[in-house]
Amino acid sequence: MPPGDVLLGPGGFPAWLALAALGGVLAMDGISWPQAMVSRPLVAGTLGGLAGGDAAAGLLVGAVLEVLFLRYPPFGAARYPDGGPAGLVAGVAFALAGEGSPTGLAAATAAGWTAGWMGSASVQLLRRINERLVGRPERLAGDGRRLEIRHRIGIRLDFARGVLLTAGLLVPAVLFVRVAAAPPGGGSSAAAVLPLTIAVALSAGAAARSLPDGGRGRLLLFAGLAAGATFVAVFA
Amino acid sequence: MIPRGRDLLRAWARTFAVQGSWNYRTMIAGGVTFALLPLLRRIHAGDPVALAAALARHLRPFNAHPYLSGLAVGALARAELEGVPPERLERFREALHGPLGSVGDRAVWATWRPVCLLAAIAAWAIGVPALAAAGGFLVVYNAGHLWLRAWGFRTGWQAGLAVGGRMRGGILERVPARLAPLTPFLLGLVTVLLTGRFGGPPVGVGVATDPLVGLALPAVAVAALAAFAAHRRPGLLGRTAIGWVILAVVAPWLFAAGGA
Repeated sequence: MPPGDVLLGPGGFPAWLALAALGGVLAMDGISWPQAMVSRPLVAGTLGGLAGGDAAAGLLVGAVLEVLFLRYPPFGAARYPDGGPAGLVAGVAFALAGEGSPTGLAAATAAGWTAGWMGSASVQLLRRINERLVGRPERLAGDGRRLEIRHRIGIRLDFARGVLLTAGLLVPAVLFVRVAAAPPGGGSSAAAVLPLTIAVALSAGAAARSLPDGGRGRLLLFAGLAAGATFVAVFA
Repeated sequence: MIPRGRDLLRAWARTFAVQGSWNYRTMIAGGVTFALLPLLRRIHAGDPVALAAALARHLRPFNAHPYLSGLAVGALARAELEGVPPERLERFREALHGPLGSVGDRAVWATWRPVCLLAAIAAWAIGVPALAAAGGFLVVYNAGHLWLRAWGFRTGWQAGLAVGGRMRGGILERVPARLAPLTPFLLGLVTVLLTGRFGGPPVGVGVATDPLVGLALPAVAVAALAAFAAHRRPGLLGRTAIGWVILAVVAPWLFAAGGA
């Protein structure tokens, strides 16, 4: 069975449906309820990997997305990638079709990145819809029942947003990773992860520069780099 | 009427859904009022006019960090119970709005969450199983999350309008100040350990490639991150140097891979 056919084959519909529902729960966790951070790419990717049969592969791509998304905190009304469905889609795609290859990892990360920003756009849309639901206080006063109904509709719409996003992106992501993981020339090249390596490093650098600790923070960053380099040099 | 324990519990549970109707016009005002409702209904029981007036007050624009929204809900409910005049209550809401956002953002989004996430990634990269690392993150992070929500709601309900004094110089400032130095250290550590996994892991299962790449990729990451962090905007000389470092590290591997 070609990689990914667990989902793409004739018996894959229930799995696709279950994963879409999980995507809805993860999207909801990130914003509406309860912000327990199951929606972080690290966790969502691991769950996706678990569903695809390889939790560690899911965690790897989730961790990459986590570092890439770290520089976009959800301060106030800021726009930030929606990490739940993104991590889930990337984790499932890499575990099912990535075959542990560097090109598969790069492709799964690209799929997750795209899903994250598409999720962000859907959040903006939902906020506009919520504006119509509860943005006019004069229409909601009274005994509060109308507010309760509309607030709950907002939460359900958030769930539906995650379901649609995951359902729409899951199969294209698996197909994309399957094609990328087996390039026409045969084999897989680690050069595919070089841009990913630089992207991770620069994202970490951007996140570090946004920290308020100044010179001391930079010293600690270098200390972390040195500790990591020592570990890799000793154990590689 | 004084709210019962059950009303307080329902209000606290509803603070978990405070962002359910987040919008650009009133932000989380709908969510905060949704959480306040069980308490307002008890406080203004038998007086629908007072209840409607209270709802109209709380539905005006308001924002706060979601984990600290309980502090606002508790304090506003206490103020309603004590019959604080509407003008004073409105001033209090406006005064709460800024600090609850900025203190929460700094304590949670900029400190607690990245520290827990990066520590989990580092743990996995040095050999902790994937499920244990992700599960460990959820347990540790949510221990802080739930404590903060419970503390906020209780403090708000007990202190009412005096809640500002409880926030100043308290645990919300001390803990982030102590944890903050961990973030840059973990960022550096994780960048190297994670990119080391791209080229064949030092421990456990990961992306299998040439073992030489297991050293080359982290070296590239170290060079790129160090250069990026050290200079605000590297000049032409700096950019050329970074390019040469990357090339020098990668070229031997590329030649070796090409020849294989």
